[in-house]
Amino acid sequence: MRKSLLIISRQAPWSGPGAREALDIALAGGAFDLPIGMLFLDDGVFQLTAAQQPKTLQQKDLSANLQALPMFGVESLYASARSLQERGLAENPLTLAAEPLDDAALAALIDRYDQVITL
Amino acid sequence: MATLHVLSHSPFSDSRLSSCLRLLGANDGLLLSGDAVYALQPGSAQLRALEMMPDSIGLFALDEDLTARGISAAQRAQVVDYPGFVELSCRFDKVNSWL
Amino acid sequence: MTQLIVDDRSIALDKDGYLVNLDDWDEAVAAALAQQETLNLSAEHWEILRLLRAFYSEFQLSPANRPLIKYAALKLGPAKGNSLHLNRLFNGTPAKLAAKLAGLPKPTNCL
Repeated sequence: MRKSLLIISRQAPWSGPGAREALDIALAGGAFDLPIGMLFLDDGVFQLTAAQQPKTLQQKDLSANLQALPMFGVESLYASARSLQERGLAENPLTLAAEPLDDAALAALIDRYDQVITL
Repeated sequence: MATLHVLSHSPFSDSRLSSCLRLLGANDGLLLSGDAVYALQPGSAQLRALEMMPDSIGLFALDEDLTARGISAAQRAQVVDYPGFVELSCRFDKVNSWL
Repeated sequence: MTQLIVDDRSIALDKDGYLVNLDDWDEAVAAALAQQETLNLSAEHWEILRLLRAFYSEFQLSPANRPLIKYAALKLGPAKGNSLHLNRLFNGTPAKLAAKLAGLPKPTNCL
């Protein structure tokens, strides 16, 4: 039985390599058919906002890459409802079908996975 | 599936500690290393938050990092050395490093 | 770095034979790249190359084998979106070889 891995991504797309690294781990794990979950927490939920223009900062398009997660078999996607709420994003459409979970549900989610890493 | 959460960033300039506190399970543990041991600074809101955690949640701090920063651990925290850290990593089902 | 001569153009390739400048790609370049791999491009090959370019324009990355298969199944149906079909067309390494011929970057996350 392969071990499941939950990746907690809590960096904004523009604040350094954290968001990219979290996504790379998810895509690599998915490509090898590992059971991967991904949780967007804290500023990580900013990765899910629409109409980003990465080229203005000469960066690669993280949002386009994020859309590839389901193609790589990573379909267990979650977001912290509190993080969304705090940032005024609770009513906004997200670019990825991430299920909003409250804090208690997040604790249960972490509990369910064999391995967890937070970037 | 109890989790040992490992923090190493200062709780005064970073939100990892407050986020982590909201996600702790009843039998999880919290290990403070590096600048995260500043959370044990007496009189800080961070220490008060840690002291409000249920007793079932283990609180640990790395000896070396406390000593280096001249912080004495509050009663709530158990001081561990590196072998103790290893032992904790094995005692919990998994370790979540907040990188 | 090596050069691929297509008609009168000199196209830069990296050490693995992928295009250095993705904008250099056109069908003549694809045919020349295929020739280097001793592959004759049939209509079935072109269909996958176009599919890969669509994948890249949608997700801005080159797929590994699994996502390539999944995407092919989604867009072309299960008869085309399976490893047998793709392996047969691209000498057993569809993600790597098809990305090369489609003028995409070398896929990461691939063995």
